[in-house]
Amino acid sequence: MVKNKKAIIILIAIMAILPIFIKSKVVLNAIVLLLIFATLGEAWNIITGFAGQTSFGHAAYFGIGAYTSAVLYFHYEISPLIGMVLGAIIAAIIGVVTSYPTFRLKGHYFAIATLAIAEVIKQLFISWRYVEGATGISIPILPRSATFMERIIYLQFNEKVPWVYISLFLFAVVVFICDYLENSKMGYYLKAIRESHEAAESIGINTTNYKLYAMIVSSAISALAGSIYAQYILYIDPFMMFSLEVSMKIVLLTVLGGIGNIFGPIIGAAIFIPLSEFTRMKLGGSGTGIDLMIYGALIVLISVFQPKGIIGIVESIRNRSTKKKGGEGEVEALTRN
Amino acid sequence: MKSKLVVLLLILSLLFTTVITGCSSETSKDEGTPAETATEEGGTEEEAAADDGETIKIGAILPLTGSAAATGVKLQAAMEVAQEIINGEYPDLNMPLAKDAGLPNLGGKKIEIIFADHQGNPEMAKSEAERLIEEGVVALVGAYQSSCTKPASQTAEQYGIPFVCGSSSSAALTERGLEYFVRIAPNDDMESEMFYEFMLYLNENYDVDIKTVAVAYIDNEFGVHAKEMAEKWYNEVYKDKGFEYLGSVAYATDVTNVDTEVQQIKDMNPDAIFHASYIADITMFVNKYRDAGVTPKCVLNYCGGFQDTQFVVNLGKDSDYFAGGAAFTAAHLDTMPELKFINDLYREKTNSHFDGPALEEFASIMVVADAINQAGSLDSDAIMEVIRNTEFDAPYFASGAIRFNESGQNEISASYIVQIQDQEYQAVWPEDIATSTPWVPFPDWSERK
Repeated sequence: MVKNKKAIIILIAIMAILPIFIKSKVVLNAIVLLLIFATLGEAWNIITGFAGQTSFGHAAYFGIGAYTSAVLYFHYEISPLIGMVLGAIIAAIIGVVTSYPTFRLKGHYFAIATLAIAEVIKQLFISWRYVEGATGISIPILPRSATFMERIIYLQFNEKVPWVYISLFLFAVVVFICDYLENSKMGYYLKAIRESHEAAESIGINTTNYKLYAMIVSSAISALAGSIYAQYILYIDPFMMFSLEVSMKIVLLTVLGGIGNIFGPIIGAAIFIPLSEFTRMKLGGSGTGIDLMIYGALIVLISVFQPKGIIGIVESIRNRSTKKKGGEGEVEALTRN
Repeated sequence: MKSKLVVLLLILSLLFTTVITGCSSETSKDEGTPAETATEEGGTEEEAAADDGETIKIGAILPLTGSAAATGVKLQAAMEVAQEIINGEYPDLNMPLAKDAGLPNLGGKKIEIIFADHQGNPEMAKSEAERLIEEGVVALVGAYQSSCTKPASQTAEQYGIPFVCGSSSSAALTERGLEYFVRIAPNDDMESEMFYEFMLYLNENYDVDIKTVAVAYIDNEFGVHAKEMAEKWYNEVYKDKGFEYLGSVAYATDVTNVDTEVQQIKDMNPDAIFHASYIADITMFVNKYRDAGVTPKCVLNYCGGFQDTQFVVNLGKDSDYFAGGAAFTAAHLDTMPELKFINDLYREKTNSHFDGPALEEFASIMVVADAINQAGSLDSDAIMEVIRNTEFDAPYFASGAIRFNESGQNEISASYIVQIQDQEYQAVWPEDIATSTPWVPFPDWSERK
């Protein structure tokens, strides 16, 4: 736990120093996206990695967060900082309302239900005029003469560096929350539920409540990331926010990095996002989705040889180098079956 | 130990991020090198060598991969034609910037289009816009899908870089009050009005008595907005001119069967159907209309699948009688020598005629280059000043000119009504540019030759 904290602090410190040396907008853009998706991966990790409830519909909460802040700003000029908080609350409520009945479903059936819920929410947003329906919302941009204070209130920056720090701040907070959760009583309860639902109930854990708590935290964090994403891109529509592609990206990068481990999402994102940006820039115009092909190949290789993800590879190298067998059980992963 | 390894790995990942993206941006910065430029822009090595890094860069963001890749590649070819015209010498061609090589007011400097791929993804459109701006482009053009044009042009606005949009048709684009954004294509708002006016014309001159209207639309940004505009014009103007709006039928973007939708339309039995559809779905609809015996008096298509020449290839003689708005028809090639000239260049690249969107993207490069030339500088504000206040000569459009209004919309609509007759696109309205008279009403499917 202490080691974890040290590693987190070093990681965040490195991230915080990066913008001093990197001036390229392209690289900074990749870092911002990397941090936003790593945050989403952390959120997904809570419900799936810790609690074992596989969600394929996290784009729904991501989208709700984005829409809440964007709509409030678009219609009423309410600061996205307030919109973010409201978005997180709304996403948490929707998370609870939709999860309460679906938590009765197990395994694949729960996963299918989350997929369906995200799709239903997408269709609602497509035909909902108040949120501009399929047309999407172009977030009104501040004039170039806007003061720095206005830019902070309305969360709009023409430079990349503030975005790196905003997304890094969110990621840092989320990673500490996850670290705390992982080692808290709730974290142990969730892992107990993940390993055996029946056993957890038999020792007196209220499984429904704890799964709901996990969902509240997970959906609220996803919504916060969504609000930042919307302000960053300055345009949202239901097709980009609620797409299966977003849900899958979250799942894939976390699985690639290492599911159930707080470092998994950032490692996965640090590989996936640059890979995607680089292959598009280099191969854009020649191949279709080569980045996803390479990524798919990586996932296949990892699932076959090391189901714990990249973090599992680190673990096995460590075990081999220290000749210790069995590890210390700190690296958690969904390796049942 | 474990924490050390984790940190090591994280550092490696970060290095990977930096190196990979850093490399590519560095390569991009070296675009001045002849070989690199030639590969990037698809031009010839000699041309690039002559440029010697002294070119004026224009960024083009297009869907070069993904679901709209086929269209994106065509649009790229259209822009390359514009680049050839501007950079080459064509003394006989009566078109702005054609006679001299490069931009005369900037000492004959040549333009260089840097293409970027957004894959139909708004997030990537924004990233690519930023990358191009960082590479020093003077202006941006693109991005075909309205959902990608929006974030890309928002980014251009933030950096104060002019964005000249060619073919994106969503009216919402010019309703955002952006200072650095203009659009050449007529939007679905203007097309809706044109459709009603065309029907009035048909009623007056061909005695077809079109009264009832229904809209079939794809359930996305393009379709929904088109439907809203059809309803808006009906409620505001054409309700009082004898039309009746029966309703609309939406279908999913990934539709594979339109039986239900066609049945709904058949039940409504409208005199006119407005279609906001892409090529795959409009093909399905026409096939089902034939099978179900749906025979309205006319079908009018928003800018989309109908304008793609593939429509005729897919449907053969069944494509006859369908009509819609378009900025290009091959029937005009005989009467418009400039259009014929650029169409020949385009055919060498793509083996097909221009179509509306391709011609509009061609126009976007011509307008940008013309504005830079007239401004005589690369200053964004000076260029934008020219774009906003000038009527551009556009002999490749039937309308002959491009002029932007306050919101940035080209108010001289490049679009007119075309109808497929004997599997050829013919201009049928307005009369002064018509190459044929309209075929109305639809005959019964069994009576078609």
